[in-house]
Amino acid sequence: MACVNEKGQLTESAKKLFRAIGNQSLTPAEISKSAGIPLFKVRSSLREMTEAEYIAEESGQYRLTSKAIELLEKQ
Amino acid sequence: MSQMEVSQQTEVRSLPRIGSKAPQFEADTTQGRIRLSDYEGSWLILFSHPADFTPVCTSEFIAFQEIYPELRKLNTELLGLSVDSLSSHVAWIRNVKEKFSVQLEFPIIADLNKEVAQKYGMIMPEESSTETSRAVFVIDDKQVVRAIIYYPLSTGRNMQEILRLVKALQTTDKHGVATPANWKEGDEVLIPPAKSDELAEERMNDKSLNCIDWYYCTKKL
Repeated sequence: MACVNEKGQLTESAKKLFRAIGNQSLTPAEISKSAGIPLFKVRSSLREMTEAEYIAEESGQYRLTSKAIELLEKQ
Repeated sequence: MSQMEVSQQTEVRSLPRIGSKAPQFEADTTQGRIRLSDYEGSWLILFSHPADFTPVCTSEFIAFQEIYPELRKLNTELLGLSVDSLSSHVAWIRNVKEKFSVQLEFPIIADLNKEVAQKYGMIMPEESSTETSRAVFVIDDKQVVRAIIYYPLSTGRNMQEILRLVKALQTTDKHGVATPANWKEGDEVLIPPAKSDELAEERMNDKSLNCIDWYYCTKKL
C-alpha cells in the first residue's frame, strides 16, 4: 500500500491508518481493530511508513512522526 | 561451465510439506510489499494461478472473492500469485471489475522472477515451465503448512472444498477430533482411535459417543 501518491498527497488507505493512530502509540493489532484494516495490511503499511519516516516504532508500538502530522494537516 | 552454474544446476530445493514451516518470502503485490510473516496470527490460503486474463483463472478469482467474506470470518486471508507483472495484475483486477462487476479485494503477488513459486513448488515443468499450476497452500496462524492441493491448468478449483478444508482443520485444532469423508460443518466428527485396550473398552461404554466399534466412534460437537 503506497502511502503517498505522485502528487505528494496521502493515499486514502494511509489517511485511514494515520487517523486510526492519531496522537496515540498503538500496536499493529490495535491499529487494525481501530481502522478496520486487516492485520497483514497494517503490518505491511507500517513497515513502509516507518522506512519513509512517517511512523516511529518503540517496543512494538507505533506513533505518527511530526512529518506525518504535518502531511496529514495539509490534506 | 562456471562454479556458479554448476552450483545452480545441482541445487536441490526442499519443498514445503504438510506440517513444515511455510517458507518465508517478501514480495510485491497489488496491495504493496508483503511478507509472509505479516500474516502471523491469521490463517492464509496462498494460491497460484497460471496467468492473468485467462478464462479459468478469471472464473476462479471471482469464485475466490465470493468466499472471501466467509474466509475472513474464519480468520483466514487470501493471497494469489502468478508470474505476471504488477501492471498485468492491476489491469486484470480492473477488467474483472468492469466486465464482471466483481472487486477483487485480496492481494496478488507479482512473482516475475518465480522466487516464491519455486520455493513452494508451484511450477510443474512437465505441464508448463513458464506458468504456475493451480496450487493451494493452507497455512495456519503459526505459519505451518496444513494442507496442499494441486490442480492442473485445465481444471478450475472447487471453492466449497477449500472452505470445507479450512473449517475442518480449524475444527480439528479446536476440538482435537478428526473429520470423516465429505464432512461438513454441523456433521458428527470422529474421535481419534483409542490407544490401549482399556481406553477402547471405556470408549465403548461412553454413552456420549456413537461407537460402531472401538476404533470408529463419532460425536456431535
